[in-house]
Amino acid sequence: MLQNEQEFVRILQNRLEGTLSPEELNDIISDYTEHFRIGKTEGRSEEDLFRSLGSPEDIAREIRATHLVKKAEDVRSCRNILHAVLATLGLGLFNLVFVLIPFILLVLLLFVIFVVGIAFMVCGPVAGIFALLQLAGIPVFAIWLSPAAGIFFSTGITTFGLLLVIGNYFLARFFYHIGIRYLKWNIGVITGTERLA
Amino acid sequence: MTDSREKPGLQVSSHDTLNIGSTRVTRIVLWLGAITIVSFLIGFGILALSGELPQSKDQDFSPFRHTAFLSPGKTTVPLDGAGYGDVALTLGAGELRVQGGAPDDMLMDASIFSKAPEWEPELVQSVNGSRKTVALTDKGHKTKEWFSVDSPNSWTIALNNGVPVNLEVNVGAGDCRIDLDGMTLGSLDVHNGAGDTTITLGRSQNQPFDAVIRNGIGDLTLRVPRESNTRIRAVTGLGEISNNGLVQDGDIFVTAGFNPAIAVNEITLNQGVGSISLEAL
Repeated sequence: MLQNEQEFVRILQNRLEGTLSPEELNDIISDYTEHFRIGKTEGRSEEDLFRSLGSPEDIAREIRATHLVKKAEDVRSCRNILHAVLATLGLGLFNLVFVLIPFILLVLLLFVIFVVGIAFMVCGPVAGIFALLQLAGIPVFAIWLSPAAGIFFSTGITTFGLLLVIGNYFLARFFYHIGIRYLKWNIGVITGTERLA
Repeated sequence: MTDSREKPGLQVSSHDTLNIGSTRVTRIVLWLGAITIVSFLIGFGILALSGELPQSKDQDFSPFRHTAFLSPGKTTVPLDGAGYGDVALTLGAGELRVQGGAPDDMLMDASIFSKAPEWEPELVQSVNGSRKTVALTDKGHKTKEWFSVDSPNSWTIALNNGVPVNLEVNVGAGDCRIDLDGMTLGSLDVHNGAGDTTITLGRSQNQPFDAVIRNGIGDLTLRVPRESNTRIRAVTGLGEISNNGLVQDGDIFVTAGFNPAIAVNEITLNQGVGSISLEAL
């Protein structure tokens, strides 16, 4: 149970240090200090204000998630989206199902496409070399039904691998964009629920 | 409260990580797509022209050789001091290749290319005096085997070059290539139900032999040494007989300089549906 406003602010500050810049942190602390000041001026007790705001831990988690999602939106990187997802997970246990599992599945899908693309890009030229050696009459390398066809198939396999890797890049960008929107929606839903409660 | 968390100052400058114009990327993707499609079309076209595409929907298709990525199961049959060999090969469905070149102390060196363990053939061997008998038999598939469906079944059989061999080959369906160059043949009996059969007789044959070759549906090619004393009786149900280098008299074909007074290699060909190609090499 919180004792006073200073303790509320101290907990909030401790939880947000390292995530927000000092200026951003000061802004938020000022907002809450102002909120307390106005509330007291209106004759509300600290308990009433605490009850209306919720716990400083929950507020810090929401602010942290919102900030990291915004950061991931502004600067696209694997690290930023991972931090955003982890911060969103902290908002509720059910996000293990609604955020973590879809996130893992998408990452796996992208990874598999990437690996397949790279495998095609590597195997294509190797198979092409085999076709050339088969064409030269070296039986050890005779893996193709027809070495002439093998040269064209190898070219097709290589370019298909390239297409997969390029397509995977754009698919990742698409999922990143959709993912950010989903995280924002998720945070909005959770914040709204708590307000109602 | 929410607004206070989203105040200016939280914004981070953005930049694009890929500095390639979208038009240029689209052009690259289109070119890659076109190259991919054209390459595959040409590849399949070459295979179609060379007759390598599957003839029916049931046949599994791959531009690679069936045996390219499989480690064969090896079966060797020692000679055990025998001076003659009787070899019987029975393959239900698949590809069979028979050739010489087994190690000196081996009558047979078999390489079985198949992903399905239940396709491993059964081997029976025995020695009777100076004669070694070997039977390699495809056991067939009585139950549904999931891994058999697309699995190739290809046998490559190497036989001993130094020992006279009576060779009996039975193939239910599939292509059969028998290259006896370098081997000594006692007799030859080949029966292929459906599929192409190619048989090349050896030049180093130093004793006469009898051969019966029956091919149900498919093309049959027989190559005989030009200098051998060989007589071929060819009967075909539906199909043509092409002759290259042999002397024809009705359905009898003999090698140039054929002399019936000395030892003769007698070959009987029975073809159901398909062409027969006779070549003197």
